[in-house]
Amino acid sequence: MNLTTFYLAVAGLILAPLLGGLVAGVDRVVTARLQSRMGPPLLQPFYDVGKLWSKIIAPASHWQGLFVRWALVASLASDVLLAAGADVLMCFFVQAASASFVAVGAFCGSSPYSKLGAQRELFQLLAYEPVFLVAILCMAKVSGGFDAYSFMASQQPLLFKLPLLIPGLLFVVLVKLRKSPFDISASHHMHQEVVRGVYTDYAGRDFALLEIAHWADVVVVLWICSFMWATSALSMVITAGLFLFAALVIDNISARLTWRHMLKVVAPACLILATANLLWLYME
Amino acid sequence: MSFLKTSQIKSPWLMHFDCGSCNGCDIETLACLTPVYDVERFGIINVGNPRHADVLVVTGTVNPRNAEILKNIYSQMPDPKLVIAVGACGCSGGVFREAPNVLGGVDKVIPVDVYVPGCPAKPEAIMDAVVTGLGKLKGILEAS
Amino acid sequence: MLDAYIGVLVLWPLVAGLACLVLQSPGVRSALVLATGAALAVGALGVASQAPFTANPGFLSSETALHVAEAAAFVFPAYFLLRGLMRKHLLVILFSCAQLALAAFGVTQLPAAPAAQSAVVCDGLSLALLLVVSFAGSFICIFALPYMKHHEEHLHLKVSRQPGFFLVLLAFLGFMNGLALSNDLRMFELFFEATTLCSFLLIGHDNTEEAKTSAFRALWINCLGGVFLHSGILLAQKQFNLVDISALVNPALWTGASMLPIALLALAGCVKAAQMPFQSWLLGAMVAPTPVSALLHSSTMVKAGVFICLRLSPVLQGTVTGKILLLVGAFTFFATSALALGQSNAKKILAYSTIANLGLIIACAGIGTPVAVSAGIVLLVIHAATKGLLFLCVGDMEQTIGSRDLEDLRGMVSKSPVTALAAVAGAMAMILPPLGMLVGKWAALEAAAQSPVAMVLMALGSALGVVCWVRFAGTLLSGKAIKPKASPTSALTSMPILAMLASAVGLGMAAPWLNALLLPEASAASALSGGWGLMPSLFVVAMLGWIIGMKVLGRQSAATLSTPYIGGLPSVEKGTYVGPLGRTWVLSEGNEYATELFGEAKLTKFLGALAGALLLALVGGAII
Repeated sequence: MNLTTFYLAVAGLILAPLLGGLVAGVDRVVTARLQSRMGPPLLQPFYDVGKLWSKIIAPASHWQGLFVRWALVASLASDVLLAAGADVLMCFFVQAASASFVAVGAFCGSSPYSKLGAQRELFQLLAYEPVFLVAILCMAKVSGGFDAYSFMASQQPLLFKLPLLIPGLLFVVLVKLRKSPFDISASHHMHQEVVRGVYTDYAGRDFALLEIAHWADVVVVLWICSFMWATSALSMVITAGLFLFAALVIDNISARLTWRHMLKVVAPACLILATANLLWLYME
Repeated sequence: MSFLKTSQIKSPWLMHFDCGSCNGCDIETLACLTPVYDVERFGIINVGNPRHADVLVVTGTVNPRNAEILKNIYSQMPDPKLVIAVGACGCSGGVFREAPNVLGGVDKVIPVDVYVPGCPAKPEAIMDAVVTGLGKLKGILEAS
Repeated sequence: MLDAYIGVLVLWPLVAGLACLVLQSPGVRSALVLATGAALAVGALGVASQAPFTANPGFLSSETALHVAEAAAFVFPAYFLLRGLMRKHLLVILFSCAQLALAAFGVTQLPAAPAAQSAVVCDGLSLALLLVVSFAGSFICIFALPYMKHHEEHLHLKVSRQPGFFLVLLAFLGFMNGLALSNDLRMFELFFEATTLCSFLLIGHDNTEEAKTSAFRALWINCLGGVFLHSGILLAQKQFNLVDISALVNPALWTGASMLPIALLALAGCVKAAQMPFQSWLLGAMVAPTPVSALLHSSTMVKAGVFICLRLSPVLQGTVTGKILLLVGAFTFFATSALALGQSNAKKILAYSTIANLGLIIACAGIGTPVAVSAGIVLLVIHAATKGLLFLCVGDMEQTIGSRDLEDLRGMVSKSPVTALAAVAGAMAMILPPLGMLVGKWAALEAAAQSPVAMVLMALGSALGVVCWVRFAGTLLSGKAIKPKASPTSALTSMPILAMLASAVGLGMAAPWLNALLLPEASAASALSGGWGLMPSLFVVAMLGWIIGMKVLGRQSAATLSTPYIGGLPSVEKGTYVGPLGRTWVLSEGNEYATELFGEAKLTKFLGALAGALLLALVGGAII
């Protein structure tokens, strides 16, 4: 590990959550504008986290604080891995570990809504994980390596060779951002589903940390999506922005699905498309 | 004021509890979320979970059955917290004040910070009450 | 000295087992089992210090030994035939007759093959299996001491059947060590059949009707495996007049030759490793006492199957047979992970997950590149530790509450905290980076780059596994929190559990270095700078997370908990709420197993047929 990698890693550690917070702010402003409202200030997510941090509340379970911290560490670690140009597949697994910690923490909770949310979170995990994995495998096949740098070094946008990945990646973004129609285990701000799903029992400082972990997750997911057109830094930002905007539009025009529908129809469809793309790459 | 204190003023998450209202005040409360009033401008979010809420908005009269629930929800909210009693019934029991099964206004059970009169209360008044409550909170935070 | 170590590893367990049978006394038995554990540890470490090596210990290479092996090829099937006739079990009779016929054919029709150059060849792979058997196996045998005592008290037996049980259990370890070390195919077959016999006896130990049915199912399927193995050996002998394994696995030998013997040997491995569609014998083995299922699943029996496949991997690399084997393994990984998800029986979850991970190892063998094979060996070792731990934990919890259903295990953390937390740690070790199982899975996924279908199957299996284990851990941690009261646990129970926990986590962390050790020198240099080199820095992160988490846990475990949010209703006691009429209502909870998607009844036949087709393709591809 040389010094540049180290600096990049540190930058990823600090900038990624901040960027994720900004994404959340943009999300709320754009959503409000789409609904012809004014919306909150851009920095609102930071105020929310600041407020949650300063709240005093008894925990719902002895274990939750532990799992929240582990989830945060895992989420930040996945950001750092991407920033340092490490193996994208491993970054994905670390990120999945974070999601697992959130679910286990919700299992430990005391509210039935939290447990119901945990069950649904697991099915969401089951639905998007294979799609995301196959998408990463496709990208690796085209760019010839599993490390983030080779993904970003491609001369030609990966999109031209991987058009069938778009629905799958959009599906992953929608699930990870907890947006309609896949806000099944927990809904994002303004909406409610099984009260607050997996997040029901997390409160106060734990919840603030979980929110930061969520920001870090969102950055990882959007970052990986942006590999689709990674010819320059600007094009990556634009690609990520387009994915985000598409997710927001879909969120505003669609109703929530059931987890059965997600698992039986949407996830297989996305997976089949991604697999078809992968097979096509091998046929060439 | 520090960032943490500022953010407490800027991010009031609101939980709405219908104690025994005729739904008039409830409709007006939810109307605050619509594009016309758009309370999200103030960072207000309507949440369903007392563990995440900062402001408890109560509509309707209190009776012995729902008094338990009201107390329970209030106790599950993290400190510091605000309570806003909305509508004539929430403030005092309104026209049901003398009914045998009605205890009276919200303040019979939990401490109330801001009262919103009206039958039903107007959305503007409800928003104003939240802002007033936040002013009160700001005073407390500055003093501490 | 080396011969002495090998003697200890192979023969001592048999001798100690016989002593158990003769001396009968429980105290002596405990001492003998503990001594065996110590002896095996010393022997394995002694061998490890010399590896890699070749040796010719008398008891494995002499004329007498080879005659014994030849005789065993008749004796074992004859015994199976006898048992089959006694129970009128058609399949057992059929396959044991086939084995006898093959043995007779081998003796009469084929020229005697020259003996192997060295009877014992120990490389990284054999050493891995040796260490697994000697350490994990010994821990399980020690765990069996208090377990069987309790078990027999529960069954109200007049005469203890433990001496015979421990004879088979200990002998099993010796046979497995022999299997790991022997380089002569005939000796290998002797040990292979011996493990079939042991597993048959152990599964049927309880003598209930269910146990007998399961034992005979295991017997006929493994007899079938024996038929494949024997015909593979005979064909190889016919083709090259060789029984020397290390000479046979030379890729140069097989260029242009028919791969059929290799395919048959790999098929025998798949049967032994209970790959789909042969998974039913391993599931049936669940009726046996827990130490048996732990021994069969984690450290021994099934590992023999993947051991053959990994042994054959140099020949498989780049061939059609290898590619099909990769698909077979990946498909089993996916299919049994799905089946595990639809299960609420904790032992069946473990069984299916075991089969899934063995499938992954077989997939690694099918890829056959040094990188893939070393990933497979790492998986073999770490899976033994992790799954052994999980089996012991589930067994202990089962004895505590008298049920093995996951729904009944809900909230075990408040009933027996040490075991439940060890089980949670084991479940997490199955899926979390940077621990070995996940790293092995990741390496396998990247190594499978030649086959897109296998990669997709692995991706699916991986997601299914993650969900299954998170739910397992979550269920143990959830539920009503009663004041934990320390249940009286025997030191002989908790010691193996804690030791397995330490080895599961420790080995999981050591995976990159294990991997570097196993690789040939050319690629070893790059192994720790590539993807695996990421792991040490992830350990640092994990340690950091551990410290932060434990600090918070320390702070929060003293905190008074908030009342649960149940739609605002008050709750006097956890898991209840005060509802209408002022009555206290109890909340009940259960996991969603999505049986309409992952149910055993729905999937087994369909997936079994697909897997069977793949296995036919494995043999067919070799013939063509």
